[in-house]
Amino acid sequence: MSINVRLEINNITKKFKQKTVVNSFSMMIDTHECVGLIGPNGAGKSTLIQIIADILYADEGDILLDGQKISAMKNQIGYLPQYPNFFSWMTAFETLSFMGTLSGLAKHDLQKEIPVLLEKVGLANEAHFHVGTFSGGMKQRLGIAQALLHKPALMIMDEPVSALDPIGRREVLNLLKEIKKETTILLSTHILSDAEEICERFAVIKQGHKIEDATKLELLERYQESAIFVMIRQEDTKWLARIEHLPYVKKVESYGDGFKIHVHHMEADAQKLLQHGLDAQVLFLKFEVGIQESLEEIFLQLVV
Amino acid sequence: MNSFLALSKKEIHQMVREFKLVWLPIVFILLGLTQPIMMYYLPVILQSMGGVEGIIIDPAMTKPEGREVLASTLNSQFDQLGIIILVVASMSIIQGEKANGMMAFILTRPVSIASYLNSKIMIHYLLAVICITLSYAVSYGYSAYLFTLVPFKEALWALAFYCVWLLFVITFVTMMSTFFKSPAFIALISVVVLLICRFIAGLHPFIDIMNPASNSLFATNILMTGNIDKWYSIHSVVTLLLVLLMIVMMQSYMAKKKC
Repeated sequence: MSINVRLEINNITKKFKQKTVVNSFSMMIDTHECVGLIGPNGAGKSTLIQIIADILYADEGDILLDGQKISAMKNQIGYLPQYPNFFSWMTAFETLSFMGTLSGLAKHDLQKEIPVLLEKVGLANEAHFHVGTFSGGMKQRLGIAQALLHKPALMIMDEPVSALDPIGRREVLNLLKEIKKETTILLSTHILSDAEEICERFAVIKQGHKIEDATKLELLERYQESAIFVMIRQEDTKWLARIEHLPYVKKVESYGDGFKIHVHHMEADAQKLLQHGLDAQVLFLKFEVGIQESLEEIFLQLVV
Repeated sequence: MNSFLALSKKEIHQMVREFKLVWLPIVFILLGLTQPIMMYYLPVILQSMGGVEGIIIDPAMTKPEGREVLASTLNSQFDQLGIIILVVASMSIIQGEKANGMMAFILTRPVSIASYLNSKIMIHYLLAVICITLSYAVSYGYSAYLFTLVPFKEALWALAFYCVWLLFVITFVTMMSTFFKSPAFIALISVVVLLICRFIAGLHPFIDIMNPASNSLFATNILMTGNIDKWYSIHSVVTLLLVLLMIVMMQSYMAKKKC
């Protein structure tokens, strides 16, 4: 889709009875971005997604797509619910044809488009099977097909892979990587490694609040520890006892196969430490400056 | 308009796939058969069941006219078992799709709530009309064959009035299906309210104006007496307004609650 669309989420607040599920959430998503909405169960991800998909009303705030209210832009949105449910008596082809007609697509276009799309999501052989016989992964792929059918500028997906087994997950992730090239994607998940594969930007939501919004690189940098990881020979371990008393060393701890040395100023102190080691005739098997945490750990730090 | 047609087509498709288009008319045809046949064999049944010795059954008394038989098809078959069957057959038309998330899913498409609701009411009403008409035709035929012929014009007018009542029945069930979550509760409240409406029809002229079931009563009256009063149609207009009001209520309810 060539038109530039920008999704603006402005101060969305949603309450169910007394409980505030989404609390003044704001975010901007530009064209061709792929944003992962990350949060633990019950953080308000699905509610937010449903508000963006115009299934629920927000109590406060509004959602604009390309400067217009989302309810007027339904044709530009492809939505995949958490558990896509289709009429089990329809075949895959009929399902797409029905959904396409609702989006106002012409019949002869649908006849042309649907086989191509089914091929793309890997359901070409099952086109005339009833949806009732489909596995979870197949339903999810059909769900993606129906969301793509009208060539939306924005795809909103609620936990597209969480309910799938490793094989189904692989299939869907590969498909999403393809789709990403042409569409803006917003997806929610609580499995970080999945989001990590396809999204370059993450918004972390906790108890309805946005607590982090950054690209993967920014996140990794921000949560980098100022520590040095060393692996040394057994006979050199007494050196560690010596450096523990150095002024620039905060702490030495055992970590995995080697040791973690916490310092004050990473780069300058690393230099000094390396020199010190060389002077003491220590043989470094491994010397790593800056220990990167995995996104998983950062996520845990953020939400727990 | 396009989505209205697509949704209507889907409803028909669903009825075919779920065999509703087959079993519902069959059930109603059997229902229409029951009354004339039962009334025809009533003397025989009474005799064979015994316990009537010493009482003379006057054949002139037991052989009713065709018009009476047809009228009792309307008020003792359709208005009792018929309504219950219709309620059960259409109780989950909204509730079902609400429960499995299909409604919300469909409404993420550029589809108006009005076309969603109206397509459902229209198709289910059409099915009800087809079932009732088939059943009525069978009953008409048997009444003519076993008893006496009812003038065609009167029978047609009676059916027309009955269909107005039917529209109320379907819309009411749809409304209950929109408001409540439990299918059992929907069925119960629909059956109770509709049967009460039917029972109080004819009690008082003022209540009758508001009571949609008076249309059913008129249908019976037309068959029994052969008079087609012009003022009957006032009640039909009031009923249609009620139906309109219910549709507006459903739409605003759905627009407010969304799901």
